[in-house]
Amino acid sequence: MKAKLATLPLSYRLAVTSRVLAAVFGGYLVAALASVTLTLWLPLNRAEAVVTGMTVSFLVYLVAVLWCFACRTAWSAWVGLLVPSVILATVSGAARGLGLA
Amino acid sequence: MLLPLLLCYCAFTALCLAMPRHHEELLGHKSSTRRRQGLKLVGWLLLGLSLWAAVSMKGWSFGLVDWCAVLMLSALTLVLLLPYRPRLALTMAGLSLLASPVAAWALN
Amino acid sequence: MKEGFRQAMAWLHTWTGLVFGWLLFAIFLTGTLAYFKDEISHWMQPEITAHPLNAEKSLTLAQHYLQQNAPDASRWIIGLPDARDPGLSVGWQQTPAKPGERGAFTRKTLDAQTGVEVQARESMGGEFFYRFHFQLQMPYPWGRWLSTIAAMVMFVALITGIITHKKIFKDFFTFRPRKGQRSWLDGHNAVAVLVLPFHLMITYSSLVIFMSMVMPASILASYGNNVRAFYDEVFPESSIPERANQPATLAPLAPLLLAASEQWSGGHVGRISVNNPGDANASVVMSRAGSDRVVNDSGSAVTFSGVSGQVIGTTPDQPMAMAVAGSFYGLHMGHFAGPVLRWLYFICGLAGTAMIGTGLVIWLGKRQLKHIKSGVMPFELRLVQVLNIASMAGLVAAVAVFFWANRLLPVNLAGRADWEVNAFFIAWGLSVVHAMLRPGRKAWVEQLSLGAALFIAVPLLNGLTSPYHLGVTVPEGDWALAGFDLTCLGSGLFLAWAARKMQRAGHTVSVQKPARETARPITLEHGTN
Repeated sequence: MKAKLATLPLSYRLAVTSRVLAAVFGGYLVAALASVTLTLWLPLNRAEAVVTGMTVSFLVYLVAVLWCFACRTAWSAWVGLLVPSVILATVSGAARGLGLA
Repeated sequence: MLLPLLLCYCAFTALCLAMPRHHEELLGHKSSTRRRQGLKLVGWLLLGLSLWAAVSMKGWSFGLVDWCAVLMLSALTLVLLLPYRPRLALTMAGLSLLASPVAAWALN
Repeated sequence: MKEGFRQAMAWLHTWTGLVFGWLLFAIFLTGTLAYFKDEISHWMQPEITAHPLNAEKSLTLAQHYLQQNAPDASRWIIGLPDARDPGLSVGWQQTPAKPGERGAFTRKTLDAQTGVEVQARESMGGEFFYRFHFQLQMPYPWGRWLSTIAAMVMFVALITGIITHKKIFKDFFTFRPRKGQRSWLDGHNAVAVLVLPFHLMITYSSLVIFMSMVMPASILASYGNNVRAFYDEVFPESSIPERANQPATLAPLAPLLLAASEQWSGGHVGRISVNNPGDANASVVMSRAGSDRVVNDSGSAVTFSGVSGQVIGTTPDQPMAMAVAGSFYGLHMGHFAGPVLRWLYFICGLAGTAMIGTGLVIWLGKRQLKHIKSGVMPFELRLVQVLNIASMAGLVAAVAVFFWANRLLPVNLAGRADWEVNAFFIAWGLSVVHAMLRPGRKAWVEQLSLGAALFIAVPLLNGLTSPYHLGVTVPEGDWALAGFDLTCLGSGLFLAWAARKMQRAGHTVSVQKPARETARPITLEHGTN
């Protein structure tokens, strides 16, 4: 059996790269947005809410990363991150709008 | 930390023996369903007892930490002993069980 | 990735483990050593003598010294000796030339019993391993970023490992030695699963420790530009009175120790800082020792007036969120651990290091098997092999070289602390070169043997180059020093055993290829069935 790298098709390698980028950057975005949403919505004082949001954010990052590799296609990795990002951005924006922040 | 350690080690030995494969390896004969259930019960009870011992001696904060540490140490010890010195592993469990009430009394 | 969830997770586990494994091995090994950093420092600076602890006496000596040597400083800082760190450290900050600037800071170590300045050989001691494991010898803040990224990858590797391990409960007690590849996997699973609480705690807590740096979105969203306000709320400090520019005598500090302890229902003071000593508005801040509780609350302090000795401020109790974050921090650091628990931390750290190491060996071993027939190792696998050897056996040997440098470099050499560190990196670098030049198995055996020889010889080296050897430290009961020598000896014996196993087990398959190509013989690093 020849060396693995030589026999992998380009499309596979692009797909893996895409998933990795989605996991690293897209995952960070979702985690950061989740952190902000929690912080703005939690009924705690400012500093406590911030600390809680940050502490929890890494669990969100983990789930995002696992999603990017568990989903069926590389495209769905991105979509699966985009949708929660939009929702979280909206929800935290709403907190601002409602004067909760 | 001694009492929780002794109890944890016994607990893990019991839970190990509750598995048919290990029971056969260590004791030479198959276990009945009742024995397996009994060993599982004893194992979990001893684990709970060791947690109680750790927390009552040092409070929740230090007690929980001690218990987790003792949990990991006793599991590692048992698993490393089993393939090399299975009889020693079992003897230690027996001795730990006997020593536990003594340790409990001495620490009070 | 279409093959199914578990297989996708196995793929992720394999590749995250490989790409970050070498870095994580170094982080885990140096981090594990850091649990004994005070003891390592004590061996590397044996001139600082350990004495029975007497906080009041030490503080009085420190105050006297500072009064003599830095009466006009704007700030004094005193670090009391504790069970693990024998030195009485004093430091002072000169009044800055311009307001808003920082004055020059000077630090000295005093003997805790006599108050005399100790001339200890210049060395980073155990601090080197502590700092390396999260700063990676890179300029601020890049090292921290890289180590935190590595922590996130570690977290992914742990969780994907758990998901992938189908028989996690069935194989809980399973370890089958002497079965080649199977034994390595059993070993990897054992040190991973049985010590899982520690691995999960240490990994997640390292993310929490630097969360303000890597995940600042919440801070910015809540505080906007005023990030300072966030830190002030998390670490509330009692306000320090402004300098009055009227001279007044500083009250004796030693009685304040008891007063602080009473505020904390029997807690201990770790650090004392005196602001504006000799001024009418002098203030004394007594910070609580980190070893008091599991939950880290580094801000916990009592402030006294420096002239009257009255309490002028205390820090409030931590709110729940900060206490949770503080728990992560405290558990990671293990300041509160007594000797037995500290050894358990160390053993768990070694288990984590072994988990990563066995993973790297398995990764290569599995793929080497596929090429055994052709007899030639492709470049990628050879690269992995070289990195495996240098990042594991090479790193361990470099640690030994660090200790050897401490005893061999002249005590008066300028910059000797830096040279000890240089020796470490030079040795590590040479191990990479050596691994590139030698065939796989031989490189393993040679580097492990070197590490073994260096570690076993540490007690002997200590005896030949200093008066603080086992013949003296054991009868005296200085178990930190003696323990260091004995642990080095034990580690050396383990490395010697590993080197021998490497040499004996397995076989070499070497095939001569026709003229132009050079053969890279495949030597399996572990035995076959």
